[in-house]
Amino acid sequence: MNRRQFLRSAAFGVLAAPALLRKAAAQEGPFRVKYYPVTAGMGSRDTTPGPDGTIWFCGQRNGTLGRLDPRDGSQKLVDLGKGAAPHGVIIGPDGAPWVTEGGQNAIARVDPGDHKVTLFRLPEKEAYANLNTAVFDRNGTYWFTGQSGIYGRLDPKSGDMTVFKSPRGRGTYGMTITPKGDIWYASLAGNHIAKIDTATGNATVVEPPTPNQGARRVWSDSKGRIWVSEWNSGNVSVHDPADGSWKAWKLPGSNPRTYAVYVDDKDKVWVTDFGANAILRFDPVTEKFNAFPSDKAGANVRQLDGRSGETWGGESGNDRLVVIQTVAPA
Amino acid sequence: MRSFALLLLLSLLLPASATAEENGVRAFTSCRACHSLDPAERGLPGPNLSGVIGRAIGGAAEFDYSPVLRKAREDGLRWDAKRLEAFLADPAAMFPGLWMSMRGIEDAAERLALVRFLEDPASR
Repeated sequence: MNRRQFLRSAAFGVLAAPALLRKAAAQEGPFRVKYYPVTAGMGSRDTTPGPDGTIWFCGQRNGTLGRLDPRDGSQKLVDLGKGAAPHGVIIGPDGAPWVTEGGQNAIARVDPGDHKVTLFRLPEKEAYANLNTAVFDRNGTYWFTGQSGIYGRLDPKSGDMTVFKSPRGRGTYGMTITPKGDIWYASLAGNHIAKIDTATGNATVVEPPTPNQGARRVWSDSKGRIWVSEWNSGNVSVHDPADGSWKAWKLPGSNPRTYAVYVDDKDKVWVTDFGANAILRFDPVTEKFNAFPSDKAGANVRQLDGRSGETWGGESGNDRLVVIQTVAPA
Repeated sequence: MRSFALLLLLSLLLPASATAEENGVRAFTSCRACHSLDPAERGLPGPNLSGVIGRAIGGAAEFDYSPVLRKAREDGLRWDAKRLEAFLADPAAMFPGLWMSMRGIEDAAERLALVRFLEDPASR
């Protein structure tokens, strides 16, 4: 079975045929895919669920932060400022969306009530940081990456910001925090992952076993293992810092390109594959993939996030959001 | 008198030229996260851009391009200064489904400076 056949059969089995859907349900639970068109030309990319049930998403092409209410489909766009090009969004301890706003080289906080935008600009000497991804640590400090080769921290209360040079220069991309509070990032151009010592700000590089793998994004599971989307190799891999071990799995098909990775609350691993124009779910227990190809070409889902039973992404190429719901068996 | 005029002309032209070059260098700074102008530097997330002007679109050796750029190559499209300048204004508008993700450069002078920088063999 070639890659296209595999995907077609996966889509058919999971998405289309009720009989097969019921059969799949007995093994994995049924999945439901929904799409939400957003403003044309906005380049809807990174998403995150808000505490009120809404979904925040970045419009990298039109400089906005969007908010979708999936309950009624209503949407609102917040203009982040002249030249804005938001990349990533996460929810802070204050319930507000915080944005890595590359266009203005700033961290942006958007008030969830009145949508007022507050910018925390990077120092002048760190112009063109290519701000990328962020996490909050357990003390409420905001940590962020910049693809030009930096990472940094921001104290939201004082506005104090410190920027660090990544140990191997450019490429600093996705970021994650483990249940213990450890912070890791991936370096796409640097082909490694690294752990940040939050006390000193120093980063320690950890080399994946696959050379030139293109580690793009990282996400911790409930046990603190770091899952890595490897763009160049087409692998999804996992590193266990407890024993230093690595495991890797090639995505199905002939030319996989693993872009995003997200681990849900059941420790199932979700990735996106640009080569297959699909979102995939990987079960680390059975080591099997389920494929959810987009129904439109060029979806380009660059990041995934979610909440219990729902995995969300932005189809940046189609100006749509997509959710895959995992319905609990009756 | 002629020498004075020449000096005056040079004093007017040189700072402008230097500024244009600086603008190009500055405009390329963001691109460096994924691209290189050093012909020997390969394996980055974006294709090598040395000699990009005049090259076939999707034409860097050994680089795995987006389907939309592979199609452009098959269609025989090439990069010239005008096309590159239009591309930089809104890349995804010219090539929908492009794997590269960036907001277009709104400022025409900045786009032009970047194109000139990429055109200049001295930038490599």
